[in-house]
Amino acid sequence: MGLGRSEGRLTLALLEFTEHKMTDTTIELRKKAKGERPQYFQDPAIDKVLAITMALAGEVAVMHDQIDTMQRLMEKGGPVTRADVAAYIPDTEVREERDAWRQTFLANVLRIVHQEREELALEAGKLAESYDAAVELVTSEAA
Amino acid sequence: MIEDIDLKTQYPHAMLPEASADEFARQEFVKSLKFHLASQVSPGNKDAFEARAKPRFERSAKRPPETIHDVRKAMAEEPYFNFWSALQRNSQEMMWKSVQLSVERQLPDLIDASKSDLPETGGTLRLDPELETPRYHSAVDIHCMPGGYHSEFTTDDVANGATYDRAVYLYAMGRMGPFNSDIGDTTIAWIKANHPDFRPRRILDMGCSVGHSTLPYCDAFPDAEVYGIDVGAPMLRYAHARARTLGKTVHFSQQNAEATDFPDGHFDLIVSHILVHETSHVAIRRIMREANRLLAPGGLVVHAETPPYRDLPLYDAFMLDWDTRNNNEPYWGASHELKAADVAAETGFDPALAFEAYQPSAFEAEEARRTRVFQGGDFGGGGAWWVWGVQKAA
Repeated sequence: MGLGRSEGRLTLALLEFTEHKMTDTTIELRKKAKGERPQYFQDPAIDKVLAITMALAGEVAVMHDQIDTMQRLMEKGGPVTRADVAAYIPDTEVREERDAWRQTFLANVLRIVHQEREELALEAGKLAESYDAAVELVTSEAA
Repeated sequence: MIEDIDLKTQYPHAMLPEASADEFARQEFVKSLKFHLASQVSPGNKDAFEARAKPRFERSAKRPPETIHDVRKAMAEEPYFNFWSALQRNSQEMMWKSVQLSVERQLPDLIDASKSDLPETGGTLRLDPELETPRYHSAVDIHCMPGGYHSEFTTDDVANGATYDRAVYLYAMGRMGPFNSDIGDTTIAWIKANHPDFRPRRILDMGCSVGHSTLPYCDAFPDAEVYGIDVGAPMLRYAHARARTLGKTVHFSQQNAEATDFPDGHFDLIVSHILVHETSHVAIRRIMREANRLLAPGGLVVHAETPPYRDLPLYDAFMLDWDTRNNNEPYWGASHELKAADVAAETGFDPALAFEAYQPSAFEAEEARRTRVFQGGDFGGGGAWWVWGVQKAA
């Protein structure tokens, strides 16, 4: 890692540990990008529910990383204070393990989408198959 | 220098917003979600097109789909595609949110940092509070970044500069390198390969935002003066501070590329990196006329973008066009129909000196050389950038 990142993170960890809430002087950034948001489903409530579901999936992944950090700190036998958890910086190997975990996690969360994808692949495959079969039929000795 | 740098992580320069453990985890989730959608979910769209949408279109229209508009019409009723679109839109919105959380928390510190004793490189910053934001930027917030490039939320604001720097890294899933510099590096590689004896005295990067594509020109052409212009003040304040923390000398100013205050013939090289699709039909022609005025004889203007639709198979062009209607990129589609020679002829250049070319991604080439593994995140860039432009007659 580069310059002063760990030090910065440590300061940050202490800050996070002591000040969880935003102060009154916090400058709020805009939440909505200007421009009409496309509606993807007939009932706009479905658009909202999907957005909330994906945000929750994100928060589960955040909690997973937090638990993973605690477990790794415990395995090393060191202290596991909130400041330690906040200051922990995953190395490349840990990041790769977490990347892999998130892919499995997303495949689980999006199971219903992947089911449909499998079905579509079969349908598209059958179209291709039947055409190949037709070519095979008319060019072989059999027909 | 690059040998010492972790290629899997954005370089933590002094202006980059720090992410707490939870904020970092949330940003990593967004990156994973984008990767999952691109590699595991999006391929189903093609099967949905082939198996269902295309036959349905052919039955009703009595002909195959011939344009991306035909494909869009066919896919509009495809539930799998619509669900993927909704997920993709959410991933973009979640990306901005995940970065905004950390920027919002430390904004006063970031503003202080931008004004503190950063290394003096001789680079300058010139802002123009009177500059009017062009309508193609104020109409919608481009690529769904709340506030766009231009909005300011407080005095001396750098918020959206900081947000953009971090989000570009997540958007590209790290594939533009630790400095997000791939488009600049790749454009430079094209220039060096095609004009090996070119020695520009002054270089202008139009629409430079946070300067992530601008800075590579300092190293590639050490004898040249490097300038960057943008319409967004928060971008430029951040860009100036970022350049100083990285020890690069760039002169940033807040200007519209359609009409700058530089003298005639001031530049030998004018570049832009994914600027064109964020302008308009009229503006890109004005920008090219302005480039014509600003270039010295024999000078070059080079724009880097994603490929024009005419070079892609119909289905791929349709998928690339998704951003036009789903990601607040209103000029995306039309800009992908531009032809270099046509625009050159319309803007006073010699069309015979226009060019269009593909240049392989410089970062991917470097990474492949280092690791001998060709990593395929494979979203957006497709491993190459499309460059187009024209040389001004000598």
